[in-house]
Amino acid sequence: MVKSERIEAQRVEPTPRGAWLIGLAAWFLPGSGHLALHKWGRAALMGGAVWVCFFVGLAMGGHLFYVTMEGATSFLQWSVLIQIPPMAANVGSGILYIACWLMDIGFRDDPQQAARATYEYGTTFLLIAGLLNYLTMLDAFDIAAGRKS
Amino acid sequence: MRHLLVMALFAALAAIVFGAISKDTPRERWIYGVKVFAEFMVIGLVLGWLLRFIP
Repeated sequence: MVKSERIEAQRVEPTPRGAWLIGLAAWFLPGSGHLALHKWGRAALMGGAVWVCFFVGLAMGGHLFYVTMEGATSFLQWSVLIQIPPMAANVGSGILYIACWLMDIGFRDDPQQAARATYEYGTTFLLIAGLLNYLTMLDAFDIAAGRKS
Repeated sequence: MRHLLVMALFAALAAIVFGAISKDTPRERWIYGVKVFAEFMVIGLVLGWLLRFIP
């Protein structure tokens, strides 16, 4: 949010309930928040960027993260804690992450997949898709809350 | 060549989102998006060349 919008935001009323729903929808289905707000251009650009980023990441053989206790005895062990940030980034992709999780796509630790030249690129694309969707979600939320036009 | 294209695609996707969420006018957003894209590309190339000399 730019400075002029922040100053404007301080004057507006409490966040309407609809804004939270728009934010949730924007996270769940990338681009849907802006679609609900009739911001067609932004929905196509920002939602499209997230979808493209995610599918290109998958096509390049990227890896999706989830927290596993494999080899650990407690949640507080470093080997478990270190899995949380990449998982949080991946979860940002919403339905795309959930669908992959349900279909077990991209989660396996496959040495052949890891040996691909594009494996690291793909993993980075998948992480960034989630992070970009968080930004998209916040933008949709701000627009719905009247803090941004 | 493929590495450069992947980097360019990554920079473009990030620049689209960064450009769309920032600034006030469409013109400013375009300029900011192009600037972000250029920064990603230049920094990527510079880092690539620097890492080339590290064994």
